[in-house]
Amino acid sequence: MNDFVIEAKQLTKIYGKQKAVNCVNLHVRKGRVYGLLGRNGAGKTTIMKLILGLTSVTSGEVAVFGQNIRGREKRVFPRIGAIIETPGFYPNLTGTENLEIFAKLRGTAAPGAVKNALEIVGLPCKDKKLFGKYSLGMKQRLGIANAILHDPELLILDEPTNGLDPIGIAEVRDFIKRLSSEQGKTILISSHILSEIALLADDIGIIDCGVLLEESSMNELKKRNSKYILLQVSDVPKTSLILEREFHTKDYSVQDEHTLRIYDTSLNMGEINKFLVMQNITVTSSGLCNDTLEDYFKKITGGEGIA
Amino acid sequence: MLKLVRIEFTKLRRKKLLWLMLLSAFIMPFFAFLYFCYFGETGIEPVAFYKWSAFGFTMFIILPFVLGMLCTILMYNEQRFDMLKQLWIVPVSRLGYFFSKFFVVLIYSVCFMLITAIASVLFSVLPGYVVFEWDSIFFLLKKCLEIALFTAFAMLPVLAIAAVQKSYIMSVCVTLIYAFAGFFMTPINMYIHPLSCVSVIIARNGDIPGLTLPQTVHIPMALLCIFLWSFAATLFAMVILSRRK
Repeated sequence: MNDFVIEAKQLTKIYGKQKAVNCVNLHVRKGRVYGLLGRNGAGKTTIMKLILGLTSVTSGEVAVFGQNIRGREKRVFPRIGAIIETPGFYPNLTGTENLEIFAKLRGTAAPGAVKNALEIVGLPCKDKKLFGKYSLGMKQRLGIANAILHDPELLILDEPTNGLDPIGIAEVRDFIKRLSSEQGKTILISSHILSEIALLADDIGIIDCGVLLEESSMNELKKRNSKYILLQVSDVPKTSLILEREFHTKDYSVQDEHTLRIYDTSLNMGEINKFLVMQNITVTSSGLCNDTLEDYFKKITGGEGIA
Repeated sequence: MLKLVRIEFTKLRRKKLLWLMLLSAFIMPFFAFLYFCYFGETGIEPVAFYKWSAFGFTMFIILPFVLGMLCTILMYNEQRFDMLKQLWIVPVSRLGYFFSKFFVVLIYSVCFMLITAIASVLFSVLPGYVVFEWDSIFFLLKKCLEIALFTAFAMLPVLAIAAVQKSYIMSVCVTLIYAFAGFFMTPINMYIHPLSCVSVIIARNGDIPGLTLPQTVHIPMALLCIFLWSFAATLFAMVILSRRK
């Protein structure tokens, strides 16, 4: 038996003629934070909806806690807490009253569960402010409180830091980290903000246009991110020629009219500099660099970076 | 189910419109009072007064319209604020969700008709138009409860349609059309529209003078019509709610 809390095989969702999710194989391991990273409209929310059975699967299958959700909602859902898109609540009720409704619906037995959840997200308990008058950040916090209210084993959080101020984002991030490290909760979190995912996730899935392009652990990804020699020179074509003829490498890329990246890091940087200078090429700078996660994202999505 | 119904009532906190709508239960008793005041009659038959105050426009138009509005209010927030997916992942069953709302409509309907009954007694007995008699009061209460019960079932199609709408305006229009259709369908065919069938059930014994029915009274047919509409409405609501995510 595997230790996947969520396992999707060839998961596909088609809306009309558009493939929102295309043959996604996703594996969320127990006790880990899995970051689903992708641009807006990449298919992150659809994947989460498919996992929760909120939309029908066109083809493929998804298992949560080893079983298909459909038909087993009563057994599986009490073990899951989720925020999908912007959480909606009753505008004529206070935050506490809203949570009390969900606590009753879930049959949450723990006394003080509502108070505890509100405290965790930094919202006042028994406040008289109605949900309709909440700011976007407060609404988001209440959504998170609702997701953790019943102490679920698995949290599915769709862009939970949307609308939060920087301090709020840091608080939520710390809180998610604590949930995972101290309580061993499994968390699937989506975001279009790369730095968020980089700071939070143990495992990462990069999705673009409905296709899961990459799935690996963050450590693996960091290791795999290529090192390279960054060269800034006065004459890039001539430098390219020298690299190929004198250093016998084609493992480089031209970034712009003055910049080159040499991925073959076994080459001696000093030798290259010396040779280039002898050939009357001015070397403005040279150094060993690491690809950032953003560069990696750009590389595998074949497009622009992500904030 | 009781838990769900209680929660439905919690969701209605601070909705002043619900209390205002209950006030409309006084409209027809008050007009009946004005009517008999104008003619200056006293010692009239209680049923004659109650026909005006409770068995006329209240039954045909006011109660269906008020219940239609309530259906819209019950469904509106969850549709507008995209809350259904939160409820489904609790999980709340679609059928439980729909019927908890129906029970709220039913309870509200009973309250509305009880207020109508009380207002009818107050506006008839206190000014002295009607002599106080327990029999006539029990008759009024019985008929009011029957109206409340059957009208609530007859409003299930409106509740189902409210599950589709995301705006108040469409739901209110549908309610108006539904209520008036019931009113105008009664002289043509009493066994097509559920609200017409309610009037058949209420006037089945011919004990409400002036409330004449154009066709032969056939109670099983009226019940069947209400049942079929209710069943179809429930099926429709289940399909719609399954798609609403």
